[in-house]
Amino acid sequence: MSRVLIYGGLLVVAGLVQVAWLARVEISGAILDPLLPIAVAVGILRGAEYGGAVGLAAGLLQDLLGGGPLGVNGLTKMVVGFASGLFERSIYIENPLLPAVATFAGTLLSEFLLLAVGQVTGLSGSAVASAPRVLTQAVMNGALAPMLFRGIKGLEVRLARTR
Amino acid sequence: MTELLLARRRAAVFLGLFLFIVVLLTTQFRTSDQRAIGPLGTLLLTALLPVEAGMVRVAESVESLWEQFTEIGRLRVENARLRAQVDVLSRDAAALREQAASAGRLERLLALTEQITYRSVAGRVITRDPSRWFTTLTVNRGGRDGVARNSPVVTPDGVVGRVIEVTPTASRVLLVADSRSALGVLIQGSRDAGVVEGRGSGSLHLKYLSRAAAAKRGDVVVTSGLGGIFPRGLVVGRITSVTREEGALLQEAEVEPAAALDRLEEVLILLPRR
Repeated sequence: MSRVLIYGGLLVVAGLVQVAWLARVEISGAILDPLLPIAVAVGILRGAEYGGAVGLAAGLLQDLLGGGPLGVNGLTKMVVGFASGLFERSIYIENPLLPAVATFAGTLLSEFLLLAVGQVTGLSGSAVASAPRVLTQAVMNGALAPMLFRGIKGLEVRLARTR
Repeated sequence: MTELLLARRRAAVFLGLFLFIVVLLTTQFRTSDQRAIGPLGTLLLTALLPVEAGMVRVAESVESLWEQFTEIGRLRVENARLRAQVDVLSRDAAALREQAASAGRLERLLALTEQITYRSVAGRVITRDPSRWFTTLTVNRGGRDGVARNSPVVTPDGVVGRVIEVTPTASRVLLVADSRSALGVLIQGSRDAGVVEGRGSGSLHLKYLSRAAAAKRGDVVVTSGLGGIFPRGLVVGRITSVTREEGALLQEAEVEPAAALDRLEEVLILLPRR
């Protein structure tokens, strides 16, 4: 239960920081998204199920604060978090590049899924026009990922000790 | 076996979450706004939006401070540029003022040449004798310009002195303030005669004035024409004080030179009659 509350609080703080502060800093149309590296980190550290659940929660929160249909970001982040869980038993788990590379790839996957959902629902714009923004987004999220990964890992260690 | 169970469990979780999302999305797109957050979403937003609003205010304050900071930097650069421009313009203005002042002085010299009947040549002061209260100076006109020894030197304000040395291109002028200088004068109003000598201190001493002479402070003293050097009627100075000793036959006075002997830049040298 405490894990749910802690991760819930972490997601709420990250979501509020994104909409209140990070949304003011745009680089080539991209805004830093701390929720996605968190979902990737949980997936890598705790497995696909947890990654998927945290991704779903993060995405739904983003949809709630963002003003769009509930579930669009929930779907994409759920898939990314779940996919990141496939690295749980990877021999590269101690490599600091893993979270960065996984988040970079996860961002690309997320944006692709958003585009697909948008095409199905009639929401999103041109893929070609989005390419520079998507790449910038992936680089920004990937740069943030190692720091968040270390934080999540430290949190997991502390939670494991208090069990 | 364990691996199989794990894989099945994962697939079930993924499928469950996926179905949940699809159902949720379906409910969203059934509404006209394509958004239905329900009572739970409303409750969450009610709790989170005030916090978000507070964080936005903080961000706006930081943005405002940053803008002021960058504005300060921009203003510093602009200030430095404008200061440099002001320096250039100040120098230009000073040069123009100098030219205007010089033009004014030359105009006055020209007006003087038109008033007097003597031939004359304008000259520029090139050196002074710095050691003894500016009592001699050198002018850039000499024998080639017709200047001769004892040529009177004047300005529009008054008498300056006389030429004591001549070279082809320059002349040395003995100022009236020099202790070696003496010239015959008249008090302009009363026509009383006297002699003005230099004191070497910048002021002039009027001597040999008759006791009966009506000399008083403020009287203008002009050249008398006696002595054959200075023409008659050139302003020498103004009386600043009169001294009458008890029982003395003569009286004396102090005279302030009319020409600014310590600030001469251009002078007029009167040339000998042909």
